[in-house]
Amino acid sequence: MTEEQRKTEEFEPKIIAFLCNWCSYGAADLAGVSRLQYPSNIRVIRIPCTGRMSPKFILEAFRRGADGVWVSGCHPGDCHFIAGNYYARRKFTLLNNLLHSVGLEPGRLHFSWVSSAEGEKFATVAKQVIEAVKAAGPNSRFVKSRVEVA
Amino acid sequence: METRTEKIRETAKRLLSEGKVDVVIGYRAGTIPLRTAPYFARTVEEAENLIWNSHCRINLANFLPRRKDRVAVTAKGCDARNIVNHIIENQITRDQVYIIGVPCEGMVELDLILEKEGRPIQEIIESNGKLTLKGRDFSTSLERAEVLRQNCLTCAHRNPTVYDELVVDQVPELEGVDRYVDLKELLAQSDAERYAYFQNLVKDCIRCYACRDACPLCYCHVCFVDETMPQWLGKSIDPADVMTYHLLRAFHCAGRCTDCGACEAACPMGIKVRQFTRLLEKDVKELYGYETGLSLEARPPLTVYRPDDPQEFIK
Amino acid sequence: MAEMILKKSDLAEFVKSLLSDYQVLAPVKEDQKVNFAPVEDGEFLLDFQNTFLSPKHLFFPQSEKMFEFSTDKADEEAFILKEAGNNPQPRVVFGIRPCDAKAFQVLDKIFGNDQYADPYWFSKREATVLIGLGCNHPCPTCFCTSVNCGPFHEEGLDVLAVDLGDSLLLRPLTEKGRKVLEQAKGLTSADNQAGEKAAALKAEAEKAITRKVFTDEIAQRSVMELFEAAHWDRVHESCLNCGTCTYVCPTCHCFDIQDEVAGAVGDRVRNWDTCMSWLFTMHGSGHNPRPGKKERVRQRFMHKFKYIPLKRDGEIGCVGCGRCINLCPVNIDVRDVVRNMNA
Repeated sequence: MTEEQRKTEEFEPKIIAFLCNWCSYGAADLAGVSRLQYPSNIRVIRIPCTGRMSPKFILEAFRRGADGVWVSGCHPGDCHFIAGNYYARRKFTLLNNLLHSVGLEPGRLHFSWVSSAEGEKFATVAKQVIEAVKAAGPNSRFVKSRVEVA
Repeated sequence: METRTEKIRETAKRLLSEGKVDVVIGYRAGTIPLRTAPYFARTVEEAENLIWNSHCRINLANFLPRRKDRVAVTAKGCDARNIVNHIIENQITRDQVYIIGVPCEGMVELDLILEKEGRPIQEIIESNGKLTLKGRDFSTSLERAEVLRQNCLTCAHRNPTVYDELVVDQVPELEGVDRYVDLKELLAQSDAERYAYFQNLVKDCIRCYACRDACPLCYCHVCFVDETMPQWLGKSIDPADVMTYHLLRAFHCAGRCTDCGACEAACPMGIKVRQFTRLLEKDVKELYGYETGLSLEARPPLTVYRPDDPQEFIK
Repeated sequence: MAEMILKKSDLAEFVKSLLSDYQVLAPVKEDQKVNFAPVEDGEFLLDFQNTFLSPKHLFFPQSEKMFEFSTDKADEEAFILKEAGNNPQPRVVFGIRPCDAKAFQVLDKIFGNDQYADPYWFSKREATVLIGLGCNHPCPTCFCTSVNCGPFHEEGLDVLAVDLGDSLLLRPLTEKGRKVLEQAKGLTSADNQAGEKAAALKAEAEKAITRKVFTDEIAQRSVMELFEAAHWDRVHESCLNCGTCTYVCPTCHCFDIQDEVAGAVGDRVRNWDTCMSWLFTMHGSGHNPRPGKKERVRQRFMHKFKYIPLKRDGEIGCVGCGRCINLCPVNIDVRDVVRNMNA
């Protein structure tokens, strides 16, 4: 086993998943009820709509030690609140680019549209996210562990 | 520059004596060389103190939000765009503001001058594109062009876009300038290199918030740094907290920043904080085709959407 | 102990002779700015105006851990605050300007009184020997001579150094200072000529500070009269209420203490705070006694030029270093404000 393999083999990432109540949370529920298997690294936070997402939440998740963050909501056009995800999409695009520009490793931050009927898609995307975060390794760049001062 | 000063004084005196405005917000000469200070002229006599020179770096639109009086503001291209932004964001009404537009050929960078001339400067004389610096036993001169601010070298709008009157004729806009050359090079580097670059950029930050307080966009009653439930970031100079502050502040300026450079001008530590805001400005321009403050009818990019907005990164 | 001469060519020998017992800090240029940094030879600046940030961080760091604690309930010492390493090593700071040294004197009276002495401040003060450097060429923005200080002022210093050209005159002022000079190598006794030259430089420097600030009226008038003066309505207009003046000022000393918990451990941290912030006086009830810029700007100047003199036996809360004048983004000039207060 190489060092690389051992690192990814032993490391179990903590991933915070912000799921919109109406679509993606429903999809997670459906995946559960359908007994679809995916690794247990996701910790879900239910939000009313992706329009509620703030960059502060994503930064806070990384600061608190999350190795990965996943935000998922309704497909554009199908938002329960009509346009929440449209506004969110622009914010996600800008934040995604900003965080990667300042050195967030690829594979840590994920976004998806998963409807409440797409239990299968939820499990598939979950597996993709977990794989990607595992490959990125433990979060050391944007975590606030202990205050570093004199 | 002398013409601009004369015209600004003339206009200010006229507006004040005719009772059109309660106050004219402009600049007065600094108490030390290489500085100007925001000045609030309320009488015709006070209007005589208004000036315009190469050191008008602070964005006067900063003083507009929540005003109840009628104001005239001397505004260069970037400042005028911020005034437009304020009107769009309902921080002041169009009727309240009389925009004295000042076509601008750029302001000089204080740190660059101090770098080139380390001895204490006692006097500075500006004339015909030259700055003459005088101190104890010396006199040197610099070309304005040598010490212009970075944002001025790549300025997209030297002339105010919306105004009530212009004090001089419009100046030619810069042609063929790529505002993002250095960012493109930076973005081509690896994530580890970029991480190191930005960590190093803010290592001297003393959390004075001068950047935030000089910025016309930062007018929230309660800034996110002062929120406590939850507290998003600590108050110390811990590097993770410093970075969180700069990232979130830049994000709050997305689609609203005019790159006026007041943030960098205000920073006592000389931190190039525009590197954060420009990342977002570049995306807003390239992805949504938007530049701030060009028209009173424009909708800021984060308040609108298109069904076909880019989303390749979304699964 | 008599005054000593240190040739500039012997600076390295001087510094090295102290390294066995002290860390030596001296003015060094980093990224165009002068600040104090540890040195191990004579490679440091003697020809500079002043350090960029005030050296108060030597005794009062911007962010400092005061205590640490465990939050693990299984730990029998959980939630008991333990002092976080307050053991400063002995050090000599070379090149402090007299204004900054005087500021430390003022802060001594604020960080300590007959009932309490801040252990974090005083442990560092006791462990530090200050060798000051007289200002032969005061900055255009200096006004130390107007505020109980001067370019060769000795209060707060353990040794005063005067730059005579190719040597320095070293004048011991305290027991701590004498001890360092006795240990140091590279010194010879100074003669009368050197002493006279130093006196001449002092007189010249004091004369060079032409811009004066008067505080006699402020001392005589009542607090309310100063408080309600009309000029405060104009001063605050351009102020950004950022913290720049307070953070670069050698006498500003306000701080905020907060606990930061990370999992099973926590730290009680002290950070610089600024009266320019609205949050500084915000009450939990929602009431703010200094609700606007006018109140906050007025308070800062009143504190420095009236309240501190009243409460600390006439000490003025400003040493005329001029840093705020150079760094205020909107050029609010303390000299003008004080002139209005004194008018």
